[in-house]
Amino acid sequence: MTEINETFKEKSSFNKRLIFLYLTFGILGIIFYFQIFNLQISNYSEYEIAAENNKNEEISVQPLRGIIFDRNGEILVNNVPTFDLITKPFFIDNPYDFLLKISSFLKIEKEDKEIFLAQFERAKVLNKELTLMQSISDEEKAKFLVRSHMFENAYVGKRYLRNYLHPEIFSHSIGYVGRPNEDELETLISTQGLNKKINYSYTNQLIVGKTGLEFVYEDMLKGKFGDNLRQVDARGRTIDETISSVPMSGENLYTSLDLESHKAAHKALNNRKGAVVAVDIRDGSIVTLFSSPTFPTNQLANGILKKDFDQLIESEEKPFFNRALKGRYPPASSIKPAIAIYGIEEGLIDWDFSIFDEGFFTLPEDGRIYRDWKEGGHGNTNLFKAITQSSNTYFFDLAYRSDINQLNEHLISLGFGEKACIDCFEEDKVFVPEPMWKLNKHNFGWFKGDTVNMGVGQGYLVSTPIQLVKYAYIIANKGKYSDLSLKKDLIKNEKSIQFNKFTNDDWYKLHESMINVVEGNTGTARRLKDKKSYLVAAKTGTAELVSGDNREQYVETRLDDNLRDHALIIAFGPMPNPRYAVSVVVENGESGGSVAGPVAISVLNSLLQE
Amino acid sequence: MRYLDFKRFSIYYDPYLIISVTLLSVLGLFFLYSASDGNSSVLIKQSVFVFFGLALMIILSQPDPQIYYSYSGFLLIISMILVLIAIFFGPEINGANRWISFGFITLQPSELCKVFLPIFIASYLYRVSLPINLKNTFLTIFLIFIVFLTVASQPDLGTAIVILLSGLYILFLAGLSWTFIGSAFAVFIISLPFLWNNFLEPFQRQRIATLFNPDLDPFGSAWNITQSKIAIGSGGIFGKGFGEGTQSHLNFLPETETDFIFAVIAEEFGLIGLTILIGLYFFIFIRCFYLSINARDRFCRLVIGGLSLVFISTLFINIGMVIGLLPVVGMPLPLISQGGSSLISFYIAFGIIISMASHKKLVPR
Repeated sequence: MTEINETFKEKSSFNKRLIFLYLTFGILGIIFYFQIFNLQISNYSEYEIAAENNKNEEISVQPLRGIIFDRNGEILVNNVPTFDLITKPFFIDNPYDFLLKISSFLKIEKEDKEIFLAQFERAKVLNKELTLMQSISDEEKAKFLVRSHMFENAYVGKRYLRNYLHPEIFSHSIGYVGRPNEDELETLISTQGLNKKINYSYTNQLIVGKTGLEFVYEDMLKGKFGDNLRQVDARGRTIDETISSVPMSGENLYTSLDLESHKAAHKALNNRKGAVVAVDIRDGSIVTLFSSPTFPTNQLANGILKKDFDQLIESEEKPFFNRALKGRYPPASSIKPAIAIYGIEEGLIDWDFSIFDEGFFTLPEDGRIYRDWKEGGHGNTNLFKAITQSSNTYFFDLAYRSDINQLNEHLISLGFGEKACIDCFEEDKVFVPEPMWKLNKHNFGWFKGDTVNMGVGQGYLVSTPIQLVKYAYIIANKGKYSDLSLKKDLIKNEKSIQFNKFTNDDWYKLHESMINVVEGNTGTARRLKDKKSYLVAAKTGTAELVSGDNREQYVETRLDDNLRDHALIIAFGPMPNPRYAVSVVVENGESGGSVAGPVAISVLNSLLQE
Repeated sequence: MRYLDFKRFSIYYDPYLIISVTLLSVLGLFFLYSASDGNSSVLIKQSVFVFFGLALMIILSQPDPQIYYSYSGFLLIISMILVLIAIFFGPEINGANRWISFGFITLQPSELCKVFLPIFIASYLYRVSLPINLKNTFLTIFLIFIVFLTVASQPDLGTAIVILLSGLYILFLAGLSWTFIGSAFAVFIISLPFLWNNFLEPFQRQRIATLFNPDLDPFGSAWNITQSKIAIGSGGIFGKGFGEGTQSHLNFLPETETDFIFAVIAEEFGLIGLTILIGLYFFIFIRCFYLSINARDRFCRLVIGGLSLVFISTLFINIGMVIGLLPVVGMPLPLISQGGSSLISFYIAFGIIISMASHKKLVPR
């Protein structure tokens, strides 16, 4: 009986406890089911998006930049395909082993290896591709391809190089592209809606215009990124890639630049420091914009070794300095036609007025002497002779009688102290000095002698080669001009300088006097006469860097190359109906007529040969 | 409770259990095929296990429960020896010594312990008078902990926990006093910080920590759970369809063939598929509950109850982990996950359950 009792008691206890456990699991089951319901029903869309985001990656596809042409349709810059050896660090366990394996059949430069190793970890974490070798040869490509089955983590990819066909000639005018800095990257991301991952079309990956036309016309040249939708697995392997939108190549840029004239300028300057700018008088478009020495743009655009870059940066020749747009040179005697126009317009002189030039001008106030370049002077000198032979004394006298504020305004109207070009990169507008400027800058009042110095383009007056060419263009075109520009067929307003007393006849005489500078037997550029088959009007200049009070000092300064005078010339032709105006500066070239002159003539020859 | 009486011998079986277990196994093969990316060698291997497992289940349901009662100690000792062989002579895979290799197959003997330990405890407690006295309680607990610690040292925390539970279920069902349970629970709570610091590996602590705050380490240990939740959630009501789960086929989901196969099913078959699957499991539990309540004696009651609870626990730990409610621990989805040992051990368990349910007590006339 007790056993049955016990059995019964035990059994009911067992049942209760079993029910207890089953109920516990039942409650747990309800909680679990609720959680599943929560995941699959309540938060379905959220998780569905999460699953989509897991497997789908938006990839931006880099467009090709526009091609740049010269005015005759010659290609100056294009994109050329190349093959790179590209690695996927995400799938590389040990970069040293990897390099060893590749090195067994491909020769990798030490520098490439260092760059690869330096960027490896970061690229691995971000699952980004890394270029190991750029522009590999067909042989290297073949060597890799036969072994490609051994490399899940590398491939030969077709990429483009930004190719400058005349890298040494257009380095300043066209400029170059380079990797964006942080600000430029920010702009790219906001304007182009760039994704984190990019299919690069260029070897140098993301590129933006850094200088020159590449910078100024960036918006036009850059094109629009495309989008790809890439399906990836958890390891980031691509399963499938579909195109959502095709990248749009940038627009081509047709420039007014003339290839042949640049070749001529490059050859004529022969790597001396200086600049050549030439303008088409019909519409003010720039046909030549050349600064020397130059630098190789292809390396800069597609990846330059640091040591080469440092060498360029540290060079005393300052090859990066765009002398055509930023070089500040005293216009020296080339300013004389401008002073002459001022004198006639203000009634201070006319073509008959003459002075006796005894070789110097004495400032009445303090007896200070201003020397002519020619010892003993030019004798009886009227305006025509003063321009042809470049008499300083004549213009000292004229400037002495000028009002500095009026003269300042006059020079500004001829383009000095103003930007000459509307689409040039970082042009320096310099300034035209006047009394207030000197007071602020030098804490000194304006002397009459300062005005006298300005009469021969010395003293405080400085200008850039592009300002000089614009000035030459205005004179050549008798006061009518458009802003200078580099893009072809740009629509611009024609402007014109208003004169009261300076007449067409005066223009004719001024041109005649400037033609005589070259064609006359006494002209300062008479040596150019036989180098061409047409008439040229010009005005030479020799900018003194150090003003010597006597001959001994002058000779002394000539011994130092860097203190030698700059040679300048402005010229236009063919006369009497000029087509092109040109300005040339040769640093430390000493003589405008014989050093800068031939450069101007070879450029004009090349331009007129068409 | 039923048997077919042929001329010479009888076949003992339980139609409800046999049909539901077979259905679940076949469904499992179907799921596994997708979870393994259509890998037919995985499917063939698993099919062989299922086929022989089901056969083994039928065979093991034939002997009278008395056999299991008599040989329970022997079976446990054999299992333990195999576990020790695995520890000392087995191949080391991923830093663990859980397996014994038989050339073409490797088996995990610790899986057997979760079946034979509760049977042995039940047979032991069948012999002693009830309620269990303190001495027997401690003896039993001591035995449970020896087996638990041996398996945990392989290391295999998941199986060890199930083994621990399997022993404790029997003890509880046999009438362990509430006073003892209460005090043991209190001691456990108090010693929690000590256990946390001394018995858990850093990665295990991390897994528990991320359970409560998944943002703590989204790419580390929480990665698996995050991906699993995304897989389940993105399945929605109807699922993405057979073989269409992006989470599982693009490898965002880890261990798709074993621990996380539930997430694969959820992603591809949605809430509807899960409900059918859970319904099948639920049917098995209810049947086991019925069989347990109506078992012929205390031994059978304890064994059926204990083994069915082991099955339930395995299921709940697996699902709980996959849906992000329990920390990550290696635990298969019973009868579905790839892996012969787990499969075979459950077929053995069901074979014994059926045997105990279908043999009537021989009452002397």
